[in-house]
Amino acid sequence: MIKLENLTKSYRTPQGRNVLFKAVNATFPEGKNIGILGRNGAGKSTLLRIMGGIDYPDAGRVITNQRISWPMGLAGGFQGSMTGRENVAFVCGLHGIWGSGQRKVMDTVQGFAEIGNYFDAPIKNYSSGMRSRLAFGLSIAIDFDVYLVDEVMSVGDAQFKSKCEAVIAEKRKTSTFIIVAHTMSLLRKNCEVGIYLEEGRVKICDSMDEAIALYLKGTDSRQKSNIAS
Amino acid sequence: MGPTVQRTVWQIQRDVIHALLVREMKTRFGKWRLGYAWALLEPAMHIMVLATIFSFRGRELYPGIPTLLFMLGGIAPFLFFSHCFTKSLATVASNRGLFNYRQLRPFDAVFSRVLLEFIIYLLSLVALLIVLAWCGVQAAFGNFLLLVEVNVLFFGFCLGLSLVLCVVGERYPEFSKVLPVLVRPLYFMSGVFFSLDQIPKEYHPYLIWNPLLHVIELTRQGLFASYHGMFANFQHLTFTAIGMLGFGLLVYRVSWRDLVRSQ
Repeated sequence: MIKLENLTKSYRTPQGRNVLFKAVNATFPEGKNIGILGRNGAGKSTLLRIMGGIDYPDAGRVITNQRISWPMGLAGGFQGSMTGRENVAFVCGLHGIWGSGQRKVMDTVQGFAEIGNYFDAPIKNYSSGMRSRLAFGLSIAIDFDVYLVDEVMSVGDAQFKSKCEAVIAEKRKTSTFIIVAHTMSLLRKNCEVGIYLEEGRVKICDSMDEAIALYLKGTDSRQKSNIAS
Repeated sequence: MGPTVQRTVWQIQRDVIHALLVREMKTRFGKWRLGYAWALLEPAMHIMVLATIFSFRGRELYPGIPTLLFMLGGIAPFLFFSHCFTKSLATVASNRGLFNYRQLRPFDAVFSRVLLEFIIYLLSLVALLIVLAWCGVQAAFGNFLLLVEVNVLFFGFCLGLSLVLCVVGERYPEFSKVLPVLVRPLYFMSGVFFSLDQIPKEYHPYLIWNPLLHVIELTRQGLFASYHGMFANFQHLTFTAIGMLGFGLLVYRVSWRDLVRSQ
């Protein structure tokens, strides 16, 4: 269960504070995949990160008893001068995986990332594709109740993409996902609950189709008003 | 594969500190050829340079204690302090990427850094004492229990100070430029290479407020049987150390969310 209580978040801008959302209350039951929709800058990623306990709201709180991952495929926590293996060992350590468990994770990551000998080279020598392969492999190698996905499906070549999708389909049997994306088909396929963000308001929908309809209507009316003015 | 059991808060804290310590060691010493030996070489070089300069004066700075040892007792603690001071200002900025892991907060970064510096300081102090003793430079050992007490308090003091500085460095970046300048004069005011009775008496009432002076005097007193720090005051150190630790924890607790939060 993930429960949002009175969640308020705003950003500082030169013209004063820009409110992303205000006093949001919601409860998401266990086992539901959540899709987050909205225009660029509406606060989708921020909401995702707040739900994941990485960012903090101005007021209110998130209550959960589940183990939530870091945003999938995120490479920001890597240290460039350390090798891929050392970075994986570090993240395993953070999550309390030592010894034989760690070796298992190494094997999974190495198998998934397919970067060969580069696994033992410093990360700063990686290409950006290799880096995201490693990051994605690490994300799936550690088990969580809930995974956060922030438009990650757009990295890598076609073969890697299909591999990612296969893994996510596999993971869906045991875990749930909170997904931020602009690809409607992906959201429709993977999510049961939708959150639609628009200009300081949050609409929580019981089905993904409802949220998608709202999103399409929103972009439609905006286009019309742009043409009219 | 992944974690199957729920960890207690203490287990999480332990895992995070452990992982950070390993990482910090790898990034700091991994890239040099001499690796971990560098941790010992830095204070060693510092002491050798200063000791060479001062040994030209041809007499002992403190009767009965070889100049090299006298310096070592001052420089080793001071280096620990100054490393904590300068590094903690940038802790939040340089570890920003790590806060994507929800169990890792600025406190862990500060704590593991101070702890690592502390371990390096103690190891290098012991190693250099052994090396010097092997070369024939030695003095009768003082009071081990006092050394333990002083260093526990010193650790608390540096941790508290580092917590304050990590908040200051992030919220008022302009201070990061100014504050390190303060460490320089402290070098001369803390009795690193003199003992306080060599300074005119009228300045003493001001200088003895400096907690670092007490740390250094008490460390020497713990190390050498014949050393007697004229002004060393254990109560003063206890009070400032506990006070600084309390203040640091308070400041951190009030503002840690603002350090991590997007604004």
